[in-house]
Amino acid sequence: MTLSYSQGAAMPVMALDRILLMANQIGDFFAPYPPERRAEGIRNHLRTYWDPRMRDELLQYIDAGGAALAPHVVAGAKLLQDESHAKPGYYGPPKA
Amino acid sequence: MPNPIKPEKSVITTCAYCGVGCGFKAETRGEKIVRMIPWKEGKANHGHSCIKGRFAYDYYNAPDRVLTPLIRSSINDPWKSVSWQEAFDYAASEFKRIQAKFGVKSIGAVSSSRCTNEEIFLTQKLARAVLGNNNIDNCARICHSPTQFGLTNTIGAGAASQHFDSILQADVIMVVGANPTEGHPVFGSMMKRRIREGAKLIVIDPRKTETVESAHCKADVHLAIRPGTNVAILDSIAHVIVREKLYNEAFVRARCEVKEFENWMALVGDDKYAPELIGPIANVDPADIRKVARMYAGGPNSTIYYGLGVTEHSQGSTGVMCLGNLGLSCGMLGREGVGVNPLRGQGNVQGGSCLGSWPHVFSGYRFVTDYATRSSFEAEWGVTLDAEPGLRLPNMLDAAVAGSFKGMYIMGEDPVQSDPNQHHVIAAMKSMECVVLHDLFLNETSKYAHVFFPGSSSLEKDGTFTNAERRVSRVRKVIEPLAGLQDWEITVKFMNAMGYNVSYSNPGEVLDEIARLSPNYSGMSFALIDRIGSAQWPCNVDAPEGTEVLHREKFPRANGLGTFMLTEYVPTSERTSDRYPFLLTTGRILTQYNVGTQTRRTPNSLWHPEDLLEINEQDAVACGVRDGDWVKMSSKFGQIELRARISERVNPGIVYTTFHHAKSKANAVTSDLSDWATNCPEYKVTAVDVVRINAPTEDASLDAERLEPAE
Repeated sequence: MTLSYSQGAAMPVMALDRILLMANQIGDFFAPYPPERRAEGIRNHLRTYWDPRMRDELLQYIDAGGAALAPHVVAGAKLLQDESHAKPGYYGPPKA
Repeated sequence: MPNPIKPEKSVITTCAYCGVGCGFKAETRGEKIVRMIPWKEGKANHGHSCIKGRFAYDYYNAPDRVLTPLIRSSINDPWKSVSWQEAFDYAASEFKRIQAKFGVKSIGAVSSSRCTNEEIFLTQKLARAVLGNNNIDNCARICHSPTQFGLTNTIGAGAASQHFDSILQADVIMVVGANPTEGHPVFGSMMKRRIREGAKLIVIDPRKTETVESAHCKADVHLAIRPGTNVAILDSIAHVIVREKLYNEAFVRARCEVKEFENWMALVGDDKYAPELIGPIANVDPADIRKVARMYAGGPNSTIYYGLGVTEHSQGSTGVMCLGNLGLSCGMLGREGVGVNPLRGQGNVQGGSCLGSWPHVFSGYRFVTDYATRSSFEAEWGVTLDAEPGLRLPNMLDAAVAGSFKGMYIMGEDPVQSDPNQHHVIAAMKSMECVVLHDLFLNETSKYAHVFFPGSSSLEKDGTFTNAERRVSRVRKVIEPLAGLQDWEITVKFMNAMGYNVSYSNPGEVLDEIARLSPNYSGMSFALIDRIGSAQWPCNVDAPEGTEVLHREKFPRANGLGTFMLTEYVPTSERTSDRYPFLLTTGRILTQYNVGTQTRRTPNSLWHPEDLLEINEQDAVACGVRDGDWVKMSSKFGQIELRARISERVNPGIVYTTFHHAKSKANAVTSDLSDWATNCPEYKVTAVDVVRINAPTEDASLDAERLEPAE
C-alpha cells in the first residue's frame, strides 16, 4: 500500500472481504422475494446506502468473476450499471 | 450560618441521560449547580426522575474536565494548550491539507446523540456544506439505525408511534430486548403502574432482567431466548397469528397493502416457523410462543416496547420489521394504548436520527440522492452538495484501516470505547492523520486525537432534545460554559475557520433553519416550546402544537398504507464452538449510563464500581469459577479481565456484562459483525470463553500483537 494515492486513483476504499460479507448479507435478506423484486431490492439498497466507491469495488469484483457472491447478489448489483432501473424518488426495498 | 446549598436561581431544562428526556429544574447558587429537581410540568416525566438525572450531575465539575483547547502534531507527543483560534486554525489547516492530498472524501464527521438537535444539524452541515461530502454519521448508527430502517419500511416512520402516557391504556405490554426499569426508569415506573392496574406483561429477553421480575413487575410470560434468535421467535409468533387466524383482517384490508400481507402470511405461515420447530432453536417452550401470540393478538390494546436487544444484531433491521409486521397484522397501531415503540438509549437518539446526521439522508429522512430535496438544501446553504451517499461510521473505520480515510471530526463520542471490535477501531484511529475530538474529557479516543475542542455539558448550553416519544424539549443554559464556548458555537467557529461564512446569534436560529428544511419540524421554534413546554413531531400547520399518536388515519408512505416485509430468519455467523463455548450479551444498569463518561465521575459509582460478568451457577461450577473470582473472557476479537458474579438471571451457556467502565474494555471482545441493512454492530451476540485467573494482569500488555493495523 503506497501513500502516493491521490484523488481518482484506483485504491480500494476498504477491505474487499468486508464488502463481500456485507453484500451477501443484503442478499440473504432479499432471498425470499421473487427473482425480479429480489434483484431490484438489492440494487436499490446498494444505490441508496453505499458510498459509490464501495459499489465500484463490488462491481470490479463481479467483473473479475464474483465467485464469493451469491448469484442473486451478482444479478442485483449488475442492475446498478443500467440507469434505466433508477426510479426517481424511490430508493427503498422492492415494490409489489 | 447560611445554608451553602440554598438555591438562588432555577432554570427549567431537559435531562441529558436516557431517551425518556425528563424535565428538570436545575437550581444554582452562584455558578454552581446545587440541586436537580424533577419538573412537575414535564410531559415525559410528570415530576418523576431516576437516580441518574436527579443526582448524577456533578460530572460537569469533575477535576479532569478539560478547559482549554489542545493540539499536537503526533499522537506520541504531549498535548499543548492553545487558544480557541489556534485550535480552529490548526484543525482547519490539517483538514484542508488532507483533502488536498487524499481527496475530498478522505475526511468525515460524527455527531453524538448526547448533542442537541441544533448541534447535530450543524455537524451534518459541516460535513455536507463545508467538507463537501456526505461522510457524516451519528452514534445512533450503533444503536437504533435499524429502527429507522425497519419501521420506515413497514409503518412509514422510524419513530415511536405513541407518547409515553399511551401505556396507561394498554392491556398487554410486550417488551422485547429492553429493560425499561433500569435503562429507562421513569418510563419503567409508568409501565409498572399500568401492570399494577392489571395489564399483562410479556418479556422477550435472553436474561431474566429486572423487568421480568421485580417489585410491582412480573412477566406473565418470559421468553428467555438464546441470543441471536429474535427473528426466529418473532416469526414464530407471527406463524401462530397466521395459522390460528388471530390477525385483524378488517384493519389489514383498510390500512395495509393486502398483497404484501398475503406474501408475508405465506412466509411466516410456513411449517418451518412452527413453535415446535423454533422453540428448540431459541431454547424456549413452544407452548409459551403460542401463549404470547394469543395474548398479543387478543389485546384489546397491545403495545410493543423494544430496545437494543432487537436492533444490535446481524438481523437487527429484520427484527424491527418483524415488530412492524406484528403491529400491522393485529391492528395494534393508530390509537392510544397500542403501538410499536423504540426505547432510545441516549437523550437525543431520536433527534440524532431526525436531523440528517446520516450519510444517505438529510434532516427529515430525505435522500441525498433526491434532486428536489438536495436543491432545497443547496438554496439555503449556498453551495453545491454531493449527490451520492457517504461512508457510515463503521465504513469510515474500515476505510481508515485500508488507508483511504485520513481525518475525522468527532463530536461528543468515544468510538474507541463504545464501538465494537476495539482493536480494529484503534487500528483505524492510528492510521488517520488528523482526528479532531470535541468532548468534555480526554477519553479513550483522545489517545489517538490530534486536536481537542473542550465542549460544554448540557447544563452549559441552549438547544433542544427530541426524546423517544418524538417530544422536542428545551435544553437551557444553567451556568456559563466552563471552557468559554457552547458546543454549537464551537462547530460554527470551526466551519468559519474552514472558510465557510455563517453565523447564528443563538441556537434558536438553527432550529428555525431546521424547521425550514425538515417537514416534521416545520412548526418547531424556541418560542413555541417556551410557550407550551414541549411538542411532539410532526409539528406543522396541520398540527401546530405537535402530535401525540401517529398513524391514526394513514401511514406516512406514498400510498398511505402500511406494508409487510418478508422477514426470513438467517442465523448469525457468530456461533459457539469448542474454543468459545459461551454466548456473551451486554446491557446496562440503573445507576450508570452508557460508557460512563458522565456517571463514572459522580458518586453514582458507589452503586456500580465495576463491570461484572454474570454467569450461571452450572457454568460457573464447570469452569471452576466462584462468585467474585477474576476471570479472563476471550473471543476471537480480543480478551478482557473482570470479576464474575454467579447469577440466576442468565441461562446456562449465556454470560452477560455491562459496558460502563473503560477499564474493563467490554468492546475488546465484541464481534465485528453488523446489521445487514445499516451496519449497526452485533453487540448482543459474541461467542466467548471464560477462564478463572488468580489476579488481573497489567492491561497494557493485553493483545499487543493485534493493535497494529493489518496491511
